[in-house]
Amino acid sequence: MTSLLEPNRNTALKEWFASPALRACLALTLILVLGLVLNADGAFFKIGTHRDALRQMSVYGILACGLTPVIISGGIDLSVGSVLALAAVCCAKLAIHWNWPGTAAIALTLLVGAACGGLSGVIAARFHIQPFIATLAMMVFARGLAKYASGGMKVSTAIANPDGTYHYLDVPRLFRLVDHRILGGNLSVVTLIFLACAALAWLLMARSVWGRYIYAIGGNEMASRMSGVPVVLAKTLAYVFSGACAGLAGICQAAQEQQGDPEAGTGYELMAIAMVVIGGTSLMGGRGGIGLTLLGVLTIGYLDKILSINAVPEAGRLMLTGAIIVAAVLTQRRKQT
Amino acid sequence: MKTFNIQPSAPNAQPDIRPSRPRRLRLNVECWLLNFLSISAISIFAGCSKSNETTTPNAPPPQKQFVIGMSQCNLGEPWRVQMNADIKAAADKHPELKVIFKDAQNDTLQQRAQVEEFVSAKVELLLISPKEAAPLTEPVAHAMAAGIPVIVLDRRLLGTNYTCFIGADNKKIGKAAGEWIVKALGGKGNVVELMGLQTSTPGQDRHSGFREGIAGSDINVIFRADMQWLEPNARQEMESALARFGKIDCVFAHNDPGAHGAWLAARAAGREKQMKFVGIDALPQEGVAYVKQGILDATFQYPTGGAEAIDMALKILHGGRVPKEIVLGSRLFTKANVAQGGEALN
Repeated sequence: MTSLLEPNRNTALKEWFASPALRACLALTLILVLGLVLNADGAFFKIGTHRDALRQMSVYGILACGLTPVIISGGIDLSVGSVLALAAVCCAKLAIHWNWPGTAAIALTLLVGAACGGLSGVIAARFHIQPFIATLAMMVFARGLAKYASGGMKVSTAIANPDGTYHYLDVPRLFRLVDHRILGGNLSVVTLIFLACAALAWLLMARSVWGRYIYAIGGNEMASRMSGVPVVLAKTLAYVFSGACAGLAGICQAAQEQQGDPEAGTGYELMAIAMVVIGGTSLMGGRGGIGLTLLGVLTIGYLDKILSINAVPEAGRLMLTGAIIVAAVLTQRRKQT
Repeated sequence: MKTFNIQPSAPNAQPDIRPSRPRRLRLNVECWLLNFLSISAISIFAGCSKSNETTTPNAPPPQKQFVIGMSQCNLGEPWRVQMNADIKAAADKHPELKVIFKDAQNDTLQQRAQVEEFVSAKVELLLISPKEAAPLTEPVAHAMAAGIPVIVLDRRLLGTNYTCFIGADNKKIGKAAGEWIVKALGGKGNVVELMGLQTSTPGQDRHSGFREGIAGSDINVIFRADMQWLEPNARQEMESALARFGKIDCVFAHNDPGAHGAWLAARAAGREKQMKFVGIDALPQEGVAYVKQGILDATFQYPTGGAEAIDMALKILHGGRVPKEIVLGSRLFTKANVAQGGEALN
């Protein structure tokens, strides 16, 4: 009898181990253990360290939340870093220079982000241009637009007078609110925004028809089209969501820097993609989820923080990050049956 | 056996087997739309590049016009935008000068092409702030051979085949910052150093100069990180330093945005009053503004040399002699002297 039961238990155990969520948790646990070991004279045990780590990963996390539906649909969005910069410039311009009320500035900035995403989405989905190319074009274009709109300078509270001197405006209330802390200074508002964004993305992906469509398209686009899924619309909306998230991330970035920097967000897209992939969402599409992305964000975010509090030199930091990304993705690889 | 999981669902990898339907008309419309989009995009870009090459406005026809070509390696850094602004402001005072600005967008070959364009346009004088030494040495030599005097700004070329070099000394500025910190802290204390990109010469020079400046004192550099000139990175590194060390007396950042990022981190921790913040560059809208606002305690100017370049250009154009090399002095801005425009460092 035991000989019959044994293989059964094995497969159950294997399946349990094969679950991507568990593997992602394992990777995160490993990183946290690394933090316990390399605790930098106890700095890792302070609440402030974790609050700051969560704050730092929030901007990346928001981008990653937006990227998750796009990647599950089998696409990719390289433009999020540039759209972030465009949004940061736009938001700083509206809030600092034109003194718009916070809600209006947020609304228009999100709209700009969504429009950028929508444009690359239409190009990718409607005109069947590979998403890599379509969003690469948007990445270059949005960076250019950000530089054009800002005149190549950071949009800050310092305003040039005609005679070459400067006068200074106040930091707008919107920026102060976003860069604020609550719960006795133990939680950054940016982190809350990130969590809200993740919750919204989770709702859309797990509970809405659109979310089902996205999984279906990523699993088999042809079959989805044949069965009446509005492929073009659903895919385009994924890019719109990604663009709006990049817009939100841009607002957070501008608020934390108290300025709109047209050079901001360079390389953020790759970090955000790495976070999504480390969580276990497949770049081939069809598999993954926001929960996994959250784990991926925490993994890379904490790794970054641990290396930072230990003052690991830049060269070692880059090599370690690369090695750990490979290790994490290797554990995510599925056994072929 | 493990193989890569090639899903049949890879987008665009499959032959299109959609049911055929009359699409020609729609395709045509789409083509037109794309054409229109690309044309308008191109015209926008053309408009941008035109506005890049601004010329200084001219008063009524002066005695003799001198055309000066200025090739800037990139306008992504505020400091370089400031250099162009300084050149323009200085040239505007001389109606006989006309400066044509070109931005090489951090592309060495593009900058090389710009130098060649200026040579074939026969400008009277060439200003260049080169991106790299080796690839631009020869184009500048060609300009010199064509009888066009060349003033090199900020970064050096190989050899000395140019008319005049104007630049500042990062090592000296780093040393001055170190000495100021030693004095301000009374000779001892814990310092956080947020370094500029350590693979760049300015980053290395500011670091080694600073080490020289604090040598022999009891200043302890307790935390050192490469923030790559970027404000978000500086804030992040400073948060780590704050989490790790209870007593920090001073933050020295290799540029003002870095110092500002560190200040934001310290203020968020409620500890900004416990330490001094020192930066470098002192651009009017950045470092000097931060000093005026009480964010930074000191900033050291890294001068652009824009005004000096126009001075030298005038001398050269009027047949005068100029020194081969001009090392610019720096200015120190503190809360006490910022209203008077800072004080010159020797």
